[in-house]
Amino acid sequence: MTRRLIVYPAMVLICAASLFPFFWMIVTSLKPDTEIFTVSPQFIPHEPILSRYTELFSGAIPRQFLNSLLVAGATTLITGLIALLAGYALARFNVPMKRYLLIVILSIQMLPQTVLVIPLFVVLRNTDLLGTYQGLVLSHLALTVGLATYMLRSFFMDIPVSLEESAMVDGASRMKAVRLVVFPLVWPGLAASSIYGFITSWNELMFSATYMQQSSRETLPVALQQFFSSYYSDWGGVMAASVIFTIPVVVFFLLVQKRLMQGMVAGAVKG
Amino acid sequence: MTSTTSRRARHTVAPARAGSRTRSRWDRFGLPSLLLAPLLAVILGVVGYPIVRTVWLSFHEGEYLMTGAFNGVDNYTEIFGDPYFLAALLRTTIFAVVCVVTTLLISLAIALVLDAGSWAARIVTVVVLLPWAMPRVASGIIWKWMFNDQYGIANWLLVSLGFDSFKGYAWFNDGFASLVAITIAVVWHSVPFIAISMLAGLRATRGEVLEAARVDGAGFYQQLVRVRLPMMKPLLTILGVMSTIFAYQSFDHFLVMTTPPGGPSHSTEVLSLLTWLQAFTVLDQGVAAAMAVVTFLLLAGITAVYVKLSKEGT
Repeated sequence: MTRRLIVYPAMVLICAASLFPFFWMIVTSLKPDTEIFTVSPQFIPHEPILSRYTELFSGAIPRQFLNSLLVAGATTLITGLIALLAGYALARFNVPMKRYLLIVILSIQMLPQTVLVIPLFVVLRNTDLLGTYQGLVLSHLALTVGLATYMLRSFFMDIPVSLEESAMVDGASRMKAVRLVVFPLVWPGLAASSIYGFITSWNELMFSATYMQQSSRETLPVALQQFFSSYYSDWGGVMAASVIFTIPVVVFFLLVQKRLMQGMVAGAVKG
Repeated sequence: MTSTTSRRARHTVAPARAGSRTRSRWDRFGLPSLLLAPLLAVILGVVGYPIVRTVWLSFHEGEYLMTGAFNGVDNYTEIFGDPYFLAALLRTTIFAVVCVVTTLLISLAIALVLDAGSWAARIVTVVVLLPWAMPRVASGIIWKWMFNDQYGIANWLLVSLGFDSFKGYAWFNDGFASLVAITIAVVWHSVPFIAISMLAGLRATRGEVLEAARVDGAGFYQQLVRVRLPMMKPLLTILGVMSTIFAYQSFDHFLVMTTPPGGPSHSTEVLSLLTWLQAFTVLDQGVAAAMAVVTFLLLAGITAVYVKLSKEGT
């Protein structure tokens, strides 16, 4: 009983701390300026307006949204494919120097982004990829493939080898055995590494701001950061833009959260 | 059990297939190399080469993003003689320590609450993880709005609680106050992942050992400190490394929340921001590369210390 007296209020507090910034962002974006700039905060908008959203949608936002979607989508797909192949190889075969390869894969995750940002700029400039989708996707792969491969490897390791072997004994080729028997079981892992790849790419600012500035292919984080530094006092507009930027990731997250949780937990507990 | 029978069965089936020997060799070398090739290409191309190139650049002049002549360790002597760099190095370190300690403590508290078990824990777990999904740029903007001097909800709350000195308090006019606000925003963003991982770790400690401790009369606190946390040591090490690196790398929140970036008057410059500004605003990539190399070595050193400490304990 005493335990409940602590646990339930604590849960309420935790939820409030997690959700309040989301709530406040949405509420601010819906309030007219007269209700935003008040001495004591107004928690529910009296006369909610949508004009900020219609205004943003008639501007550059739809294009930037599409840019982000393209880059994050491509990054997710390519990361998933690379990690699926490599994860399978690292789980099932005795690859020479596997131990070192795994260490390398994990340490990529520990690299400061500043180590990569300058030379990648030079590489992209020399290959005329500055300001292109391909260039940005390439740079985002550096941030995603390591952990995604590691996650998928641990999922493959959970699937008994005997499943594939018995399918192969029954006459299936390895390809067929993997496709029909293993892939259905590794879905949660693929979902987890996909959402990880998507969120990483969708949110990434340093590479995007460096490689995509003043380009029509500018992604949302860059656009939002620039919008914020130039329309500093238009809090309602900035909040509306932030909502537009946040919704896709949150929706994607809620759709796959169950799988994601399994994936992250598997990754974390096994180290 | 099943694998031995199936292996035996395969022997009898195998001769029916042509070229089983070339097939097994293909299975052992060809296929894995093919499967690993894309990953290796990415690692070498967009990670390996850039690292080598950064190290190489750090020994060269590099103004206006053009690589110039070899200049030995000039870039390094320059940054270690630069008070702004040294200040940023110290500031980032303090910021990281504060972030890591708060993140780990809050995460542990949340994980324990969720682990206590209740019908609501499942939903709360999803809610806890939500901030992780919010783009850092968006969360930086929102926290900056909440810390607004005149209309911010933070000042309103503090004044309502009786701290009258926060009436109209301008958080971002002063380096220290800015850092406090940024720390809160960064911790809010980094807690979810760590908390959920800790929850998984706590759940994995349930079992005979914990049961035995309970039977022996260990209380909640004793169970936690004597049994569960020691069992979680490898996980805690990884989470410690991860949150340290995350904090050292903080960039988005600083770029968004401070005006001008790193201001007022350089008082919120951290390593990542300073390096990026040096490369793409000052346009001196040689010096910036040297800063990146120093950051890299620092993080590698910290990781090594963590790993060593966690091994010594067990």
